Amino acid sequence: MTDVILEKIGKTYPNGYHAIPSVDLSIEEGEFIVLVGPSGCGKSTLLRMVAGLESISEGELRIRGERMNEKEPAERDIAMVFQNYALYPHMTVYNNMAYGLKNRKVSKNVIEQKVTDVAEMLGLTDLLQRKPGQLSGGQRQRVAMGRAMVRDPKVFLFDEPLSNLDAKLRVQMRVEIRQLQRKLGTTTLYVTHDQVEAMTLADRLVVLNKGKAEQIGTPMDLYNKPATPFVASFIGSPSMNLLPANLVEQGVQISSSLTLPLSHNYRGCVVWGIRPEHLEITDEQNADFALRIQAVESLGAETLIHGVLEEESKKGIPMVVRLSGPHLPELNSLMWLTAPVKHWHLFDEITQQRL
Amino acid sequence: MIENRPWLTVVSHATLLLGIALVALPVWMALVASTHPASAFGVGHIPLWFGDAGLDTWKTVLLEKAGNGIDTPVFFMMLNSLVMALGITFGKIAISLLSAYAIVFFRFPFRNLCFWIIFMTLMLPVEVRIVPTYEVVANLDLLNSYTGLTLPLIASATATFLFRQCFLSIPGELVEAARIDGAGPFRFFFDILLPLSRTNIAALFVILFIYGWNQYLWPLLITTDDAYYTLVMSIKRMLSVTDGDIAWNQIMATTLLAMLPPVAVVIGMQKLFVKGLVDAEK
Repeated sequence: MTDVILEKIGKTYPNGYHAIPSVDLSIEEGEFIVLVGPSGCGKSTLLRMVAGLESISEGELRIRGERMNEKEPAERDIAMVFQNYALYPHMTVYNNMAYGLKNRKVSKNVIEQKVTDVAEMLGLTDLLQRKPGQLSGGQRQRVAMGRAMVRDPKVFLFDEPLSNLDAKLRVQMRVEIRQLQRKLGTTTLYVTHDQVEAMTLADRLVVLNKGKAEQIGTPMDLYNKPATPFVASFIGSPSMNLLPANLVEQGVQISSSLTLPLSHNYRGCVVWGIRPEHLEITDEQNADFALRIQAVESLGAETLIHGVLEEESKKGIPMVVRLSGPHLPELNSLMWLTAPVKHWHLFDEITQQRL
Repeated sequence: MIENRPWLTVVSHATLLLGIALVALPVWMALVASTHPASAFGVGHIPLWFGDAGLDTWKTVLLEKAGNGIDTPVFFMMLNSLVMALGITFGKIAISLLSAYAIVFFRFPFRNLCFWIIFMTLMLPVEVRIVPTYEVVANLDLLNSYTGLTLPLIASATATFLFRQCFLSIPGELVEAARIDGAGPFRFFFDILLPLSRTNIAALFVILFIYGWNQYLWPLLITTDDAYYTLVMSIKRMLSVTDGDIAWNQIMATTLLAMLPPVAVVIGMQKLFVKGLVDAEK
């Protein structure tokens, strides 16, 4: 069942700034949707429009078939977790979680039951009588989630909830959020700028760029078949190597001296891309091109090699190669590489669409 | 900054002791004076040690009419002062909380203009606008009433400004969280805003109570009925004796009584007061 529908949602600010031109998205019940994009791409604005904290200038928002545009946040049956948690500093954890229910005139017994249940689920039982000031970052984060869960809403909204945690806690909470969401089966909209978070959490990802949804799909869809160079460079770390090229009869002409063979009926300017992990080391005879090594980052399990192209007219274009296991090539030496055709990505340079 | 220099300790303690003596001496003298008979002051020197008329003086001050034409006992005037001081304090706090709430959290036309107009009234304390204010109060038939004593002093730019700054420091996400939790304007005000500005309210309470208690000019102007005399203004009246001795002993006792409530408020709310000025619990 379709749970949340965003139909041509747009946002224009009173000063005329067109933050979001038009976004279409339909979310299935229980789905985990992640909105991801660089800062300023409008992802938070979109989330806040769904929450009702920001008015919707164009289009329609429906939750369970009901138009929500004019409804107050409290009437939309949503719950939101904020980046800074936004816990009420003067209330105990218990009251923080109970506040929304109290305002909805839920009876005391029911509130107590629900809060205790959720607290147990999140491991907050011992902290119920504390105030937010006495909690650690991770615990506050849990309380913020508890406050959302207690209400048992139709939709959870998360606005970069993990960005204030340290790296280790972030990974732990990420897993926890995913498990909780599966268990509760609540439709979730999650905003982040962290693509790892996006990939690991999402059932489907929405990559936003300048207020437009560049691509909507499962993490693997986006990884394997990015629709635009923007998505290609945004998803995956380190990001995809993208080179301007020409599609000619012989293949992809990257420079006057380098043409990678390919039969394709498109002709013209393209962007050719390959992910760092798909480049392979080979010897001089079988190589497609050479890379002058400039920096090596050894991460133990893998090695990232940064270099520049050695080709005529494309000299100095940086590329990254990702190899598994430790490698210690000499700086400034040449590295011979081959790029398997099946891993190529081609985009039309003008329309920026995948070919 | 921890320094171990003995002479510094000595000097700083000496300075502090001197300061305490300077402040406490007049209080001491007032206390001593209240234990001597009224005639003791005509001879030209001020006694520095307790006399034997203390009981009589305090009995007169506490139980009998204030004298010199004032037809009310001192404790009744204290009550008047208390009503006025509390009226001003609570009135100021309530009205400033509300105006700051409107200015910070609601979008309405000319919002900033409203704020600046309120802010400009800082330049117009009671003393400056005393004639027109008197006129208005007189026309409203509020002379000799508690309303007349308190109402004109209630509007406050300082408190509005203070609460505005306090409200502005409340993060927007907190407001939004409350909105999602279904708190309307009233609930938000009482459940979130008021508890969060608790320490500010306390700090302001101390300042405003003392301000209200020490009002002199305004009560002097609008009260002609002894039943509405406040303590601070009456002390002056007790002094202006046309013939005979000034009852210094009684006046000193009254002065001490007049000091008590502000001192009590400061001591009682000291903790919250300091917290309100330095603490940011948000």
